[in-house]
Amino acid sequence: MSHLSRRAFLQGSALAVSAGAVSRIAAASLPEAVIQTQAGTQPPLNPASGRPYQPVVTLNGWTLPWRMNNGIKEFHLVAEPVVREIAPGMKANLWGYNGQSPGPTIEVVEGDRVRIFVTNKLPEHTSVHWHGQRLPNGMDGVTGLTQPGIKPGKTFVYEFVARRAGTFMYHPHADEMVQMAMGMMGFWITHPKDPSFMRVDRDFVFLLNAYDIEPGAATPRVNQMTDFNLWTWNSRAFPGIDPLVVRQHDRVRIRVGNLTMTNHPIHLHGHEFVVSGTDGGWTPPASRWPEVSVDIAVGQMRAIEFDASEPGDWALHCHKSHHTMNAMGHEVPTMIGVDQKSVLKKINQLIPDYMVMGDKGGSMGEMEMPLPDNTLPMMGGQGPYGSLEMGGMFSVVKVRAGLARNDYRDPGWYRAPAGSVAYEWQGAAADLPAAGSPRPAASDAADKETVVNVVKPAAHRHQ
Amino acid sequence: MFIFLRRRVLPAALLAVLAGCASLSPDQGFGEVAALAKPSLGQTPPRARSDEERAASRQMVQQLLQKPLSVDAVVQIALLNNRGLQADYEALGIAEASWVQANRLPNPGFSFGRTSSGDDIKIDRSFSMAVMGLLTLPLTARIEARQFQVSKLNTANRILQVAADTRNAYYQSVAASQSVRYQEQVESAAAAGSELAEKMAKAGNFNQLELAREQAFHADAVTQLARSRQLAVAAREQLIRLLGLSGEQSGFTLPQQLPELPKQRPSLQDSEQLAMAQRLDIAAAKLEVDGLQQTLGLNRATRFINVLELAYLHNSEPGASRETGYRVSLEIPLFDWGGARVAKSEAIYMQAAQRLAETALNAQSQVRVSYADYQSAYDLARHYRDQVLPLRKRVSDEYLLRYNGMLSSVFELLADAREQANAVNAAIDASRDFWMADNAMQLALGGPVNQPPQSAASANPQGK
Repeated sequence: MSHLSRRAFLQGSALAVSAGAVSRIAAASLPEAVIQTQAGTQPPLNPASGRPYQPVVTLNGWTLPWRMNNGIKEFHLVAEPVVREIAPGMKANLWGYNGQSPGPTIEVVEGDRVRIFVTNKLPEHTSVHWHGQRLPNGMDGVTGLTQPGIKPGKTFVYEFVARRAGTFMYHPHADEMVQMAMGMMGFWITHPKDPSFMRVDRDFVFLLNAYDIEPGAATPRVNQMTDFNLWTWNSRAFPGIDPLVVRQHDRVRIRVGNLTMTNHPIHLHGHEFVVSGTDGGWTPPASRWPEVSVDIAVGQMRAIEFDASEPGDWALHCHKSHHTMNAMGHEVPTMIGVDQKSVLKKINQLIPDYMVMGDKGGSMGEMEMPLPDNTLPMMGGQGPYGSLEMGGMFSVVKVRAGLARNDYRDPGWYRAPAGSVAYEWQGAAADLPAAGSPRPAASDAADKETVVNVVKPAAHRHQ
Repeated sequence: MFIFLRRRVLPAALLAVLAGCASLSPDQGFGEVAALAKPSLGQTPPRARSDEERAASRQMVQQLLQKPLSVDAVVQIALLNNRGLQADYEALGIAEASWVQANRLPNPGFSFGRTSSGDDIKIDRSFSMAVMGLLTLPLTARIEARQFQVSKLNTANRILQVAADTRNAYYQSVAASQSVRYQEQVESAAAAGSELAEKMAKAGNFNQLELAREQAFHADAVTQLARSRQLAVAAREQLIRLLGLSGEQSGFTLPQQLPELPKQRPSLQDSEQLAMAQRLDIAAAKLEVDGLQQTLGLNRATRFINVLELAYLHNSEPGASRETGYRVSLEIPLFDWGGARVAKSEAIYMQAAQRLAETALNAQSQVRVSYADYQSAYDLARHYRDQVLPLRKRVSDEYLLRYNGMLSSVFELLADAREQANAVNAAIDASRDFWMADNAMQLALGGPVNQPPQSAASANPQGK
């Protein structure tokens, strides 16, 4: 685990003396504000104190450690600007908690009394709303309504009992549009008192979020409302999202919260699942029906469950196809079917490094071309058979036989048994079943209609 | 202003000529003209008088025209070949002839008469000599000497003017053809966009609005190109006129681009002093004043003798060529004892002195203006070279990166290529403006800008 205490972190810096002194005084009353410096998925945090539970794994994230103080679980969240790696090759200036955006997952057990210290190191006031919790109204974290904003440099204390087991989130309820657009959010799990209740072997959590970062820039455009260009899970975009590693026949739960401004149909390959939990709690078993996609509306949480019976590398992604793309030009005209050969020469005289793209489609996953600084390719990610041509909200559930219980390490690509992979037809063309489709009868009005031509790729071998 | 009057700024050689004996020179004083123009010109102006010399200079012009022309080469060709300049050279001969003529004594006369009256034969012999000519000779000789000298200065000045005009036409022409090449790039970018848009529309990917917009861009670029070609032709013809070229001679080539900017912006101390010392028009005006001073002295000396009235005719209007001359007349001193004449001479002298002062003040102001122009033109041209163009290049590079990432379209790339060519065009204009300002500065200073003031002062042995 690469947790790093703020004190240790600061002692390594030039601020060591003054920061150390502050920290010693603060340590008398505040729990250590642990920070996370890595964007990779951290192993589950097994509870060393308090009631036992089966911990979750935060995709490309981590769980916040706590201390027990007279039977109360004390956490310390620090709201602060952070630099988050969205994927290798691109970093974003975000706001988050304890070194990362989203903030650490908070895991408690039903009935726990929880005290959360929130220190504001942002340049403006903030608050924390505990999304979905039953709590005293004054702890709901709505600036102006239930509390004043936490001014920069101030620390507020939230204290309540985690009354209901389930899947929750936390996020600011102060200057929300900016603070959430900057990545202020985190996951909250309240485990059932009985660890065997709906027990699963692997329990993954992640938040859906979206940013609009100009290619080559690093700070999200916070005034964006609809036209986002980075679709992320836990502020990571494919190929920066870790795989969900699963042992074959494990019972798997994936909890997803949506803090973007649009819905996301999350689709799992190779297995059907049930929605076992919503924002309101666990769904009664009798009401569950099997699905391969679940639409998660804005502000909602869903927990899905399945038995990972089928070994392999199974895609898990948002089914809105442009959500599995990274930054792309929305105004770029379609070039399909446009022969640019004659123009290419002319353009090359002016722009020597220009090359033709898009005339046969958008596929450019195999092209390696220089991009603006700090910009992810629109699609990419190498698989065992070439480019995945994916970006954004995409990952892989890797189901493997014989993994250890707590082993989340990437096992590499799936090695399919011989004869179980789609293959190229080697026979004669004549042996193929006829593919001719009935042509529509010529309409009387045909000559009045606009004539549209379809250009098909020329046949190479048979004609 | 009297500082300039007192300063003897003319080279010693010139003064020697003023007092020299009078006989026609083989080169009509062109050698001195050439020596006067040389420091400003950086080369000795040639003059062809004989058939062999003319043939040699024609050959020289032909030889120079073979290679892409440098700015020095075009000045050289203009000096060899500009017909207006050749005509000006003849004025030297006229002035010199007048001067020599003024130094000759009028021929004495001899008369022989034989008359008879009946058987009486009367023979009458007489010998006469124009006494008045003898009396006026020293005066007229001195005046003609000065006129000859002024003529030399004016001719040298004219050489410098032709050289400056030629340099300007050269910079204009090189810049104009450079601009045409970039305008061609703009046109070609627009043509590519238009052609691609047609293909897009044919494939069903563009609507008529988008197609028409790209085609309109191209149509626009075509007109721009035609216009810049027209300008380039006009600039080249102007240069051809100054070079005195005809027919197949006008097929010369110019370099692809203007010369590099100087590494550093020259800063001139005492640029005004330098102009006073170097400018030939000021030297000519001073010479006039000197002449009037002598006339004034003469009038004072002769006021009681009153045999002569020497009128210096001086008529100068802005924009018109100066008329100068003199008249000598003899009068019999019966009623006027000369007081008014002296007063008049004094007034004429003071008038000329004031005019000289005006010329000097105007020249000083001209130097300040052209120096300021020169400096800002340099800064602007450098700003284009060091800031604007590299930034435009970066913008283009970034566009290409965005295109690579499918973040922007080829049409944006082409639009940027057009923009970039326009920026290059503006940079060419700035560079041309610098070289023209440099030229104007040279003319205002009466010498090259890069010549340090110290060396100009030491070139004038009597300078104080």
